[in-house]
Amino acid sequence: MSNTPMLEVRDLKMRFPIGGGLLDRMRLDKKGFRIENPVVQAINGVSFKIEPGEVMALVGESGCGKSTVAKTIARIYSPTGGDILIDGENISDYGFSEMLPVRAKMQMIFQDPFASLNPRQKVRDIVAEPLLEQTKDAKSQKDIPAEIEALLAKVGLNSEHAGRYPHQFSGGQRQRIGIARALSVRPGLIIADEPVSALDVSIQAQILNLMMDLRDEFGLAYLFISHDLSVVHHIADRVGVMYLGFMVENAPRDQLFSKPKHPYTRALLSAAPSIKPTRDKEEIELTGEVPSALNLPSGCCFRTRCPFAWDRCAKERPVLKDVGDGQSVACHLTDEPEREVA
Amino acid sequence: MTITIETQTDQPLLELKDLRTHFHTFAGVVKAVNGVSFKIGAGEIMGLVGESGGGKSVVGFSILGLIESPGKIEGGEILFDGEDLAKASDERLREIRGRDISMVFQDPMTSLNPLHTVGDQMDEVLRLHSNLDADARKQACIKMLESVGISQAEERLKAYPHQFSGGMRQRVVIAIAMLAQPRLIIADEPTTALDVTIQSQILKLMRQQIADNGASMILVTHDLAVVSEMADHITVLYCGQVVEQGKTRDIIESPSHPYTRGLIDSIPDPTDRMARLNQIPGNVPDIRNLPKGCNFRARCPRAQDLCAEQEPTLKPQHNSLVSACHFPLQPGEK
Repeated sequence: MSNTPMLEVRDLKMRFPIGGGLLDRMRLDKKGFRIENPVVQAINGVSFKIEPGEVMALVGESGCGKSTVAKTIARIYSPTGGDILIDGENISDYGFSEMLPVRAKMQMIFQDPFASLNPRQKVRDIVAEPLLEQTKDAKSQKDIPAEIEALLAKVGLNSEHAGRYPHQFSGGQRQRIGIARALSVRPGLIIADEPVSALDVSIQAQILNLMMDLRDEFGLAYLFISHDLSVVHHIADRVGVMYLGFMVENAPRDQLFSKPKHPYTRALLSAAPSIKPTRDKEEIELTGEVPSALNLPSGCCFRTRCPFAWDRCAKERPVLKDVGDGQSVACHLTDEPEREVA
Repeated sequence: MTITIETQTDQPLLELKDLRTHFHTFAGVVKAVNGVSFKIGAGEIMGLVGESGGGKSVVGFSILGLIESPGKIEGGEILFDGEDLAKASDERLREIRGRDISMVFQDPMTSLNPLHTVGDQMDEVLRLHSNLDADARKQACIKMLESVGISQAEERLKAYPHQFSGGMRQRVVIAIAMLAQPRLIIADEPTTALDVTIQSQILKLMRQQIADNGASMILVTHDLAVVSEMADHITVLYCGQVVEQGKTRDIIESPSHPYTRGLIDSIPDPTDRMARLNQIPGNVPDIRNLPKGCNFRARCPRAQDLCAEQEPTLKPQHNSLVSACHFPLQPGEK
């Protein structure tokens, strides 16, 4: 049993049909009359694993599908295809009531500490809610108030705070409340969707430190979604880079930051501003912008912005290939490295 | 406007002297900017940094006279090329805005008018601030759009803002800001809403536009990494006051104020990975009810009794630095 990953995702796919009603989707042009069914291809076959106690980060720019991956794993969305295994249990087609016991193993922290707490509930009730859901017998429900107090202390709040409402707290404190709520059922996995990007940098450091302390104390695994590479470098054990709903590179942290292989990863690293302008920073500048997920490019999704793209990239979609040392890359350059002489 | 007189080289383009902008709210007086002074020379980029509530955006708005009731400039001088903008009439400010000083806002989604084409919005600047005829204005707009990297510029002039992506919209906003060849650009978090690869494109573009036109810039941001790559000088604000000023490299390498040190250390440093980040404890105090003495003392690791009694004033420190601290850090000290 100890070999079971905390989370395993296999070939996850998520499509969102858009376009509204029948009238909105009708088209009449040179090609004649037709009814379109536009679909946003948000996730196009993503696979990865998180071991117990491991921190896996997903990075990428807006629209790359990283948040959708998080929400699909938390089953806020139902996946279009693929499997999600929590602690070995396949939950990809679970219904609401079947999910309930799973939620004791997996909790979520959200980006916006202002929108993710009910403004009409006291902190005590916000934090107790998952616990009340999970403990149905009256005897253990009696212990909940003491438990809440202990939880609040763990995240750096005191019992006096329990009777207050969310608006009486600052952004950083609210994020602490969100963390206490997630911790309340003692999950093995916490999905954190941009948990610090709404916070000031000094507060961000407090929350990151807290998350790492809690990981050490409870052996938590995190799926950490972020666009900030310096934060990811600090917190993650393993990093997955996403682009247009594809995982383009997946590697242990040090590997990814010292020897990035995919051109997109390299461009991301070169674009990130750093406080100590580094001497030997590789300069890969991307032109243009991310294509629409409604109409993915043929072949490699990144070829429209890739400085190394050649004809093969338009014909054949690269798959994630192991290149050794736990690093896998989805790029044709790994087969033909001589192409890179620019 | 009068004929431009050759300014002396030692006269700064913009000088703020003890600027105070207060907001009179029902809950009390919010001293958002409380005695801020700095200078910017021609062609310089000044980074204005600090956390939310530090007053950095209000400084930018005050310079352009964009403070609305209940806010008011209570005192101090804003000397732009020797003229005090704090005392200038609305009419005079309208002349200056867009022509001599222009602004780039944070959110490219809301700073353009959704009901007018990009071409109309660009044309407006030239209609108000130049005496070019319609044809020449159009040519100038096309040239400007091309120089910010928008292809098929003539076609795109007819497009509405919603037809552009976020990065493209920010390019349009920059094009509008540069159009009248202003001498000072105030950029308020210009890349905060953008993705990192787009951010690096936009920063490069802004740097190049400024160099080409010999303009100066105030770069308002919370992101020290962006500032350290862009600015010549940095001014750090905390609770509406300047806590430290100096050349960018001096501040980043060896700040003298503990708050600046804390801000720098809060950023995860890839070259020096520690298990824990050095955090600044606590929160920014309530600006309506600031503590006596130093505003930072409750969060400061170096605070002593003196800090609770006496407010520190700006004093010269090592290298180019000036900071307001009773117990400043020495070079190399952590």
